[in-house]
Amino acid sequence: MELQGRKVAVVGMGGVFPTCSDLNDFSDKLFSNKSLIRTWDEAVACDKQVRSKVAGYITDAEVNLDTVYSTIVENYPEVYVDLLKRIPPANLATADMGSIWAMLGTMDAISMAGWSTEDTQSEATGVVIGSGGCGHALLRPAWHHFFQKGGKSRSPGAHTVDRAMVYREAANVSCLIRNRGVCEGIVSACATGLGNIGHAYRLIKFGMQDRVIAGGVETTSLESLIGFDSMQVLSRGFAPEESSRPFDMNRNGFVCSFGAGIVCLEEYELAKGRGANILGVIDSYYNNSDGDGDMFYPSFGGQRRLWKGLLANTGIKPDVVKVHGTSTPAGDPIELLSVVDVLGDSGYHISAPKSQFGHMLGAAGAVEFITALLMLREQAVLPCLNSVDLNPELENIQKAETWDGPSVALKSYRHLLPQESFKKKINTIACLNYGFGGTNSAVLVSKDDA
Amino acid sequence: MERQEIIDGLVEILRTVRTIDPEKLTNVTEETDFIADLNTPSTELINIAAKAEQKFEVEFEDDDIDDMGSKVKDIVDLVIRAKERA
Repeated sequence: MELQGRKVAVVGMGGVFPTCSDLNDFSDKLFSNKSLIRTWDEAVACDKQVRSKVAGYITDAEVNLDTVYSTIVENYPEVYVDLLKRIPPANLATADMGSIWAMLGTMDAISMAGWSTEDTQSEATGVVIGSGGCGHALLRPAWHHFFQKGGKSRSPGAHTVDRAMVYREAANVSCLIRNRGVCEGIVSACATGLGNIGHAYRLIKFGMQDRVIAGGVETTSLESLIGFDSMQVLSRGFAPEESSRPFDMNRNGFVCSFGAGIVCLEEYELAKGRGANILGVIDSYYNNSDGDGDMFYPSFGGQRRLWKGLLANTGIKPDVVKVHGTSTPAGDPIELLSVVDVLGDSGYHISAPKSQFGHMLGAAGAVEFITALLMLREQAVLPCLNSVDLNPELENIQKAETWDGPSVALKSYRHLLPQESFKKKINTIACLNYGFGGTNSAVLVSKDDA
Repeated sequence: MERQEIIDGLVEILRTVRTIDPEKLTNVTEETDFIADLNTPSTELINIAAKAEQKFEVEFEDDDIDDMGSKVKDIVDLVIRAKERA
């Protein structure tokens, strides 16, 4: 299926990130070991209705947007206004907040890529972007007005479909840039962001497109936090900046976060031929399912097979593993043990960006892929913030009779998990993300001259 | 309610529709066409109708909305008809 000799370069990146004015601000804060997690006033206002009160949220004002509310449907954001006039009103009219983030990220990524209008409007240019949630901020007041207040279907206007449909971000980006190639959204829960980039890689690798804008989005939404809060999988009891603590033995859940990550992929020879600045070259993409029949619990066997498919015949051993690292009691040990099972216990480091900005759900894989590109650019490893104490005892899964993975305690791998950013020669990074339903995705990305 | 009063109210509504160029709203008459003259996206017409219902305190019939033309006078007629019916 793959076309021999066809390679895929990453030539642009952009996005929207909590507390950050732009991509460079995001990079500066990450490599300065800062946390982007704050106490969320909207969650605090829910008082005892929710357990977790911290998040990586983004307000409208922080993205220079204003909200015009409906005069008919209470609390319904009728339209968003771009105070910096970056996006035309016709595109804003069909967009929810996440679609606007996707469009802003796309504009920055295309600008960095140096693509011409002819390039972006080509039949060989695709858009592949997905998200996890479903336009809650719009649907909450719209459906409340209809079902509880007896309002008419026309009360909120005619944009509840385009602003809330599952692939709205891809659709809005495509209408903005007017590409003539594919436009679709790939959805796989918390693997969505990386899944879209992986699908985009395949579209180019298999010769179906020359350029693809790809990524993941998760819009600020109280409903997302509430849903996970009900499962008791969110962090609580720590200061905001200490709430996300992957692999630390006192972790008690993840931090719900929001954002957008968009990248521009291009067939390598085309990019090279026009002198593009190549941010990375994708060596391999692989995705699979656990096959355990378990919606939630991660799978050592599934991840072991994921690694086997990812590395295949590449002969590559990554210098950094950018893990999913959610900070949940169940997920972290299985992931760390599966990494060690494949790569051994030396010669690489583990980076867990969720420790700095929480779990961006549908955006996680894309924004974390951008952190991998930043690590390649800066030649520095991002930390596992707050991974202070690792379990000195064996995990329960290691005590099972059927266990055939590493048989020493997680504390033995302390040296793999830096608590601060540090400089290091990095040629290749492995990116891992998993999602509910037992879905797993992985990418290998290298420096151009690696 | 006078027809001009309804037109003035409609212009106020149109100023809230951000896809309509405000400069085109200086000389709105009964013959002004939402689509041909104001470049109003067709998806916004239902939004304008819903806001007109609220502003003029009337309720349009679904059939009347379906049959509505794209000129200002068509909405004015609709408002007057709904007022008479009430």
